[in-house]
Amino acid sequence: MLIEIMDVIISGLINGSVYALMAVGLTLIYGVSKAFNFAYGSFYSMGGYIAFLLFGVAYFKNYLVVFCLAAPVLLVFGFFIEKLLVAPLRKRDDWEIKVMMITLGLALFLDNSYQVVFGARMKSLPSILEGAFEVGDFILSYQDVVIFVLSIGGILLFRWFLNNTRTGMSVRAVAQNPAGAQIVGIPKEFVFAATFAISTVMVGMGGILLAQKYFVTPGGGWNILIKAWVITAFGGMGSIKGGLYAAFIVGMLEAFVGWQFGMNWTLIALFAVLLTTLAIRPQGLMGKWG
Amino acid sequence: MEHKRIAKLLAVIWSIVAVLPLFFGSTNFIMHILIMCLIWSVVASCWDLIMGFAGIFSFGQVAFFVIGAYASAIITAKFGIPPIFAVFLAGVIAAGIGILVGLPCLKLKGAYIALVTFAVHMILEPVLKGGIGRAIGTGGSRGILTIQPMNIFGYTFTSSEPVPYFYLMLFVAVICSGIILAVIKSHWGTAFLALKDAEEFASCLGVSAFKYKLMVFALTSFLTGVIGGFYAHYVGMLSTRMLGIDLFVTLMVILVIGGVGKFPGAIIGAFITIAINEMLSPLGSFRPITLGAMVVILVLLLPDGIVGMFEKIFLKKKKVRSLN
Amino acid sequence: MIKISKLDAYYDDFHVLKNVSMEVKKGQIVVMLGPNGHGKSTFLKSICGLVNKVTGHIEYNGENIAGLGAEKLVNKGITYIAENRELFPEMTVLENLKLGAYSKAARPYEATNLEKVFSLFPRLKERKLQLASTMSGGEARMLAIARGLMSNAKFLAIDEPSLGLQPNLRDEVGRIIREINSQGMTVLVVEQNIPQITELADKLYVLEEGRISFEGTKDEALGNDHLKEIFLGM
Repeated sequence: MLIEIMDVIISGLINGSVYALMAVGLTLIYGVSKAFNFAYGSFYSMGGYIAFLLFGVAYFKNYLVVFCLAAPVLLVFGFFIEKLLVAPLRKRDDWEIKVMMITLGLALFLDNSYQVVFGARMKSLPSILEGAFEVGDFILSYQDVVIFVLSIGGILLFRWFLNNTRTGMSVRAVAQNPAGAQIVGIPKEFVFAATFAISTVMVGMGGILLAQKYFVTPGGGWNILIKAWVITAFGGMGSIKGGLYAAFIVGMLEAFVGWQFGMNWTLIALFAVLLTTLAIRPQGLMGKWG
Repeated sequence: MEHKRIAKLLAVIWSIVAVLPLFFGSTNFIMHILIMCLIWSVVASCWDLIMGFAGIFSFGQVAFFVIGAYASAIITAKFGIPPIFAVFLAGVIAAGIGILVGLPCLKLKGAYIALVTFAVHMILEPVLKGGIGRAIGTGGSRGILTIQPMNIFGYTFTSSEPVPYFYLMLFVAVICSGIILAVIKSHWGTAFLALKDAEEFASCLGVSAFKYKLMVFALTSFLTGVIGGFYAHYVGMLSTRMLGIDLFVTLMVILVIGGVGKFPGAIIGAFITIAINEMLSPLGSFRPITLGAMVVILVLLLPDGIVGMFEKIFLKKKKVRSLN
Repeated sequence: MIKISKLDAYYDDFHVLKNVSMEVKKGQIVVMLGPNGHGKSTFLKSICGLVNKVTGHIEYNGENIAGLGAEKLVNKGITYIAENRELFPEMTVLENLKLGAYSKAARPYEATNLEKVFSLFPRLKERKLQLASTMSGGEARMLAIARGLMSNAKFLAIDEPSLGLQPNLRDEVGRIIREINSQGMTVLVVEQNIPQITELADKLYVLEEGRISFEGTKDEALGNDHLKEIFLGM
């Protein structure tokens, strides 16, 4: 029993850390540009498939190489998607709904392209590190530890980027006051595209990390989109700190509900919690940037 | 668009549709497609009313459609209520759930509403497939395989003879579009325009945003639920496959082609989209890819849909004329 | 330094500025007066690339800059200081100032400009780690001006710097404008009639209903009955 609870807590922590990485990306786009990206889940799968492709090439059987190659690909991809599909809509009055529509179309396009290219069967990735700590009946795999460390590391790196680099500061500036950002000469369009690109990298990296545990499937991103979305709303859209707390709460909740009632109930439980939170606090846990 | 012009356009559309069976009445396959066009035109028009006119980012339209379909099928099977009454009960159930969803979420901001309503869509599948669903009679993951066909005053509509059902659906669609037109024309329509432009100002004037939003939420879920019921009794079986992202995006293509907030564009969009969709079916697994690409391209190139495009051309001509 | 001819600007379909022509010479302080809502802010914003629909000619050091965006103009040394300050509320004073030096042209001078700004506004130095949202109205106004100075501007367009300030702080704003001008900065200020600012002017313009209704020196303005009535209340 105790061992089981430990397992549940650890699984909640590990998943929570990856969710945090991905939810922070989603909240970032919303906080900076008020755009909502429906294709976020498809970018998650894209990370998994890029890793799968690279592992298929005998040369690259190493996660370090995979990360180093996948990150720039995702960054460039995200940047151009924003420039080509989202940016042209910004001038319109009803751009918010148009962005939702176009990214939903993109999601359908990408998911079905994966299916045509890679087939409907799930793909698996090798474990990043074999082996486990074993204390009696309690087992903690190295893989889980590495996933946790890398996710947290990614978030810390991102935090450092926001606080200490010129581009990072300009991202915060646009989020806090777009008019002020324009006045000091920050190119808003570039910042919008850059945040979109960075969030694409974050969710893609999440995809590579989780693919070791949960496989890659063409439509697998939807679940992630919904979770990242719930976390974002739960924590307060645009609030990075709120997103971090919410991610771990959601990870734990999911693990406990899945353990006690079965996986079918996790989504229902998440929404019950989300709706209750929103009914009490419509702006989420921390409805502000910071 | 002015209300009179909408009414005229509606009259033209429905009279053209009404004579279609003269040409295709003997081909069941085409009649079936036309019936689907009518059904989706109602769902898309409702979606347009809530999203395009009321400015509420609701993504639960397919969910309410499915709720209506299941509800009607279960009511006829469990309580022996004739389908023609069951569809209205199904509408009431959909509206009830709509209000339940609307109460917490209509006070939220745009993107949150999209989340909560889309969430209803996403939860529906595990609910219908799971223990709760099986207890109500959804048939779990198998779905409902036999649904009583529509029956009015002893006359039974069968899918082997689609022309009568086509006219029944046309009748329903005409009524629904009439209701939507009435809403746009009424006090509600004006209130929505005011709310969209300046919500705070409008609430100062005493336009209660919440009340109107909740009413339109209830109305559109009711109509969508009813048409869902008609769908169920026509196709004769249901499964949760309808909740796949495919159908959702098809509905969105309808709206994109027709033009958001350009009623009755959604009706025209439904006929074009369903026709295109059928033509794409030989593409097999490339069909959804094409559909996705179509959304992307159309949103960029035809942002106001076909109706918006014609409006622009028409207005330009008018301007040129007035200049001369 | 800046020469504007036949400038027209629009907000949506609203024609705000009509055929405005004026000039600011290097090293001058030019003050533009005018009632609220007659287009003063729009005028400054159209010079600084913050208004989308502008027609006409804006010449800056001999180059036509009409239609260029703010990010290019800041880099050329034209900086706008907003009447409602437009600070970054969840950032510290220091971060706000650093972002003031965002443009490529200002980056090499970030450290020296920071020193200059801190000597001009000692209060800001004391509070450099405080969040901008926690500052008082007067301090926030100073921070807005200081952030503008960080851009290494050659030409400052200041929008109603004394709006909502107490008289002693207005004196302070006047002193600072005079000081940065004496260090070589060309300044264009729009204001309602505030004596502390008006008396700095090398040249005065009056903008009414989107048109220039007067141009001349302070003395000429005093001799103009229409102006006296409207602005000086005499």
